[in-house]
Amino acid sequence: MAKERILKGIAVSKGISRGTVFVYETKEIQVFQTSIPGIYLEREIERFLGALEKTKQELNSIKERINAEIGSDFAQFLDAQVLMLRDREIIATVKKRIKEEEKNAEYIYHDVLDEYAKKLCASKDQYLRERVADIWDVGNRVLRNLLGLTHSSVVDVPKDSVLVAHDISPSEAALINPDNVLGIAIEGGGSTSHTAITARALEIPAVVGIENLMAKIGNGEKVILDGNRGILIKSPTPGRIQFYKGETKREIEYQKMLSPYCELPAKTRDGRQLDISANIEFFVEYVHAKKYGAMGIGLFRTEFLYLTRRGNPSEEEQFRVYNELAKKMKPDPVIIRTYDLGGDKIFSDYHEANPFLGWRAVRVCLQDLNFFKIQLRAILRASVNRNIRIMYPMISTYEEIKKANAVFAQVKQDLTKEKVDFDDHIQVGIMVETPSAALISSHLASQVDFFSIGSNDLTQYVLAVDRGNERVSHLFDHFHPAVLRLIKQVIDAGHKAHIWVGICGELAAVPLAIPLLIGFGVDELSMSPVAIPKAKMVLRALTVPECEEIAKEALKFRGAPEVRKYLSRMISKKFPSIEGIK
Amino acid sequence: MIRENITILNENGLHALPASRFVKRAEKFKSNVTLTKNGVEVSGKSIMGILTLACEKGSKVILMTDGKDEKEATSALRKILEGQD
Repeated sequence: MAKERILKGIAVSKGISRGTVFVYETKEIQVFQTSIPGIYLEREIERFLGALEKTKQELNSIKERINAEIGSDFAQFLDAQVLMLRDREIIATVKKRIKEEEKNAEYIYHDVLDEYAKKLCASKDQYLRERVADIWDVGNRVLRNLLGLTHSSVVDVPKDSVLVAHDISPSEAALINPDNVLGIAIEGGGSTSHTAITARALEIPAVVGIENLMAKIGNGEKVILDGNRGILIKSPTPGRIQFYKGETKREIEYQKMLSPYCELPAKTRDGRQLDISANIEFFVEYVHAKKYGAMGIGLFRTEFLYLTRRGNPSEEEQFRVYNELAKKMKPDPVIIRTYDLGGDKIFSDYHEANPFLGWRAVRVCLQDLNFFKIQLRAILRASVNRNIRIMYPMISTYEEIKKANAVFAQVKQDLTKEKVDFDDHIQVGIMVETPSAALISSHLASQVDFFSIGSNDLTQYVLAVDRGNERVSHLFDHFHPAVLRLIKQVIDAGHKAHIWVGICGELAAVPLAIPLLIGFGVDELSMSPVAIPKAKMVLRALTVPECEEIAKEALKFRGAPEVRKYLSRMISKKFPSIEGIK
Repeated sequence: MIRENITILNENGLHALPASRFVKRAEKFKSNVTLTKNGVEVSGKSIMGILTLACEKGSKVILMTDGKDEKEATSALRKILEGQD
């Protein structure tokens, strides 16, 4: 029996699958040169045009599929491919050369594309070099049609497969059939690649960035793909299979038990209504937000707009995404968080020693107002849907929020002058994620319409712990009394100023924390879509006065272990129906 | 024939999306459209040609239009190059 091997990668789409490897290879197409007798040259040209036509139909059907399943924004790359396909210069050159050289269409077409591809490869511009992949994506389709080859397409993947590939082109990723593909393992790619987006949209477990994957794995091998831990297990031992069978079974039963809660209202047993909304990263995830019963988008991270492309997204591109999302979620609210990346993402020559304490998020925006205004304009334009809210991350001073608000007012004025419609009453909020913002939240509250506590970053900054560092990650604990006191303080400051306060970090979905947060008086909990049914289940078991009592008591402890112990004890005592829910 | 010197002001240069938009717009006009950069001339109706010009923001190009609707073509295409459309 083959020895078990564990291959590590980056987890991009959650879930576990066990199946048979299907290696998807984009084999290089062999193009031969043959002479065509003069009388057949016209026929050769016809054959070429026929292959173009057939390819055009293929691209159109891919586009329709993407539009229907993922959203029109993701079909944009196909526009460029369609134009490449019907590029009149290329068609004219191919026709001319077939006649002059009396050679077959495959050979001439390949040669013509190769010339363009070489020119782009020589460019110092990385984005243009990457377009070569688009040229061959469409060019190979044409060549296959000319050669009468069937496509090695992801459409043909047999049932129960784990799809293994070096990379999957965007047009192919859109064709993945979730009925047959149980999991996806990719050698290249990052967490914002097209494959990652597609896998998440289709809820297929996926791991990308597995080094030397293609050399290590072959067709027909039995594997387990663990999209939670980011690993691919080759020839798993019986013990391993048993472990995952158990985990999968528990997961399925758990989801089944929770599924009725998707539809149920987010209310405590004694009738207090709470907003439970979804944190999403990609536009397409709104589908999951709805499926799991979110009452809005509590956090739309806009980073993917900046990471999946070279250069910054234009106002128009951003507007399309925000507008589409607002329309899909209407009348439920959508909170858009402005740029939350480091300065290195927009200025390639910028590096810093300590990015988490550095030039990032709103700090970048307030120094590059033109850059900031593009996003503000796009958000405001989309606010005509009347359900958009805006949120600034990484605020640490009162002056920052004053300045951000002034820029926002300026952008509103500009739009008014240009007679562009927007929601003048759009709610503006901030992420409270720095200790300074939490400590002066009573001052900040006068400047905004809501607070959303980013509990992950707040914990990291308050405790001075990088949870990614194995040596110190054990010190990272949301239940540290310092963190809890700050959360309570922010909620109180917000309520005193009559604004609502939510939590959009991981803590919002922790069953042990929910009674505490309700006791603190939180108004909104925002979490990853799949966590929503569980949070609703917990919430529906609670009663407000008892939570308040628990919260009051919990603040008296000296350390996180004591707090946890107390909370577990109180849950089993007061709310036994949710005892043991993790 | 109209010949204009234009500096690309489109935030992301003339990359895939703006280039697609440029070509689609150019195709709507009867006039012949060409773009020239550093002495290399390509058809404004060919996306491959335009991409090989590698126009970044700040590149200087010559937009030439020739035909009945050259005026309309020039003004519409200039807007795309200058990032106003």
